[in-house]
Amino acid sequence: MVTPMLAGLIVFAVYPFIYLVILSLMKANLAAPFFLDFSDRSLEFLADSYVGLANFSDAIGDTRYTDSLWRSVLYALVTTAGALILGVAVAVLVDRAVKGRSLLRTLILLPLMTPPVTVAVMWQLLLMPSGGWLNSFLMDLTVISQPVSFLGTSTYALPFLCLADIWQWSPFVALMTYAALQTQPADVYEAARLDGASGFRIFRSITLPMLAPALFAVAVLKLVIGFKVFDLVFVLTAGGPGQDTRLTTFHIYQEAIQQFDMGAAAAQTLLFAVMVGLITLPFTAAHDYAERRLS
Amino acid sequence: MSADSTFRSEPDRLRFTGWTPLRWLATLAAVLFFVFPVVFLVMVSLKTQSDIATGGFFPTELFWQNYSDAFASVAVDLYLRNSALAAVIGAAITLLLAVPATHAMIRFKVGGRFLPGFVLATYVAPPIVALFPLFFLLKEIGLNNSIIGLGIVYGVMNLPVAFWLLSSFVRRLPVELEEAAYIDGASYFGVLRRVAIPLLMPGIVSTGIICLILAYNEFLLGAFLNKPDATKTLPTGLALYQGDRQLRYGQMAVASLAGIAPVYVLATFFQRWLIRGLTSGGVK
Repeated sequence: MVTPMLAGLIVFAVYPFIYLVILSLMKANLAAPFFLDFSDRSLEFLADSYVGLANFSDAIGDTRYTDSLWRSVLYALVTTAGALILGVAVAVLVDRAVKGRSLLRTLILLPLMTPPVTVAVMWQLLLMPSGGWLNSFLMDLTVISQPVSFLGTSTYALPFLCLADIWQWSPFVALMTYAALQTQPADVYEAARLDGASGFRIFRSITLPMLAPALFAVAVLKLVIGFKVFDLVFVLTAGGPGQDTRLTTFHIYQEAIQQFDMGAAAAQTLLFAVMVGLITLPFTAAHDYAERRLS
Repeated sequence: MSADSTFRSEPDRLRFTGWTPLRWLATLAAVLFFVFPVVFLVMVSLKTQSDIATGGFFPTELFWQNYSDAFASVAVDLYLRNSALAAVIGAAITLLLAVPATHAMIRFKVGGRFLPGFVLATYVAPPIVALFPLFFLLKEIGLNNSIIGLGIVYGVMNLPVAFWLLSSFVRRLPVELEEAAYIDGASYFGVLRRVAIPLLMPGIVSTGIICLILAYNEFLLGAFLNKPDATKTLPTGLALYQGDRQLRYGQMAVASLAGIAPVYVLATFFQRWLIRGLTSGGVK
């Protein structure tokens, strides 16, 4: 019963991974053979193209790549923090609403359902210098006198990219938090209120600790999603201005598409995967700790 | 937690302290933040190019011509059909593979602790990992540049997500019903088909909708694997507008709206299923 699914994963996930590891040791372009067997073509390719760890040392020495790595880490952490703060706030608001909860839930669900490419289009329309809503709004308020190209300016491009991401993903955090809130036992709150605890005190000392395992689980997911982001960058900024929003997925894409350097792209992908693992590890550990503490 | 407790409202009595003005304002601000970009997209879709440049919120006059122009200049309807087809094929494959596999892995502990971890680990890798190997693989088996090929890729891509969502539904399934069916002489397939799957239906529907939307929204693989116009998906078609010197914002807005309309209808219609599915894996 498990076999068909495993077969699918092996063909579409495990073999590609192994292939990627092999490719990372090669000087390879798009003409590289996919099925590495013992045929002459394969063996010839393996023998002629082997370059050892050169692709990895090149990647580490390439500041454009290493800069993109740190940028991706920053992006994943900032969007996760933003989505968590906003998502929890919205969940608490919806949880306490008397009327219209179903409508609120539907409205909040929309950003999450929107294709990321469309999210990018929406934010492009809001942010563009000529006719963008934000520019005319700020000019009406006389905050600015000239239209600002928010996505074309170093100071603003990455923050606004993060904002679009947070817009899309905080509803996800809100839904998860809302579901977790619904399972919290009412009697603890009753007891705290009888003891005269204030609203904020209750939130800090009861709500948050009880939510912690669910929140850390969502954080891990959101981190991974943040590292995987591609569409948003591709449409909204294409990595610019300069290198300012060049996240690693976009860098690797360009490396492979424009330079046709599959070996380098493979090595960069593997290093990136290690980075994703290293950053998410503490959060997974925190999740386990929070869960143990609660039980 | 049981699926229905997601919607129970009993503790509110104790936590609710009224619609204070501050809370009312905060809720309004949050809703505005989430809805505003969508509303602005609708506004832009009804503006002329020169009207857009003036930067007002409402259109000065309703310019419906964008709607006919958008479908005439870019094959929006074709891309929509391609997207929908690839998503349906993908979701069908995901469910076909994931439902029996998840049931067996949770119920009979097939693969012990390793296999579930392994399935989830494949999700953590950025999809760019699989991009080039998949490109070569599809080329070898002659399914490159086809909707079926892309559908298969989507089907496998969403397996870890489906496993994650379905496993919590399988865990909540009472094992006694299946045992009783075995005692009555039912085969494994009989139990799966007549007992487990009907009981799992809510979870299967939720998971199916989520996988459908994930596949429908996907861009990177679709853009890279399906290059010819006839097999392009909608997100790829939308990204096409970006290449123009003179960006036709109004038409781009129309095409975007055409793309999100089916998902929004689905999301509104199946809101409960969606939320039930999305939140099933996160909370224990």
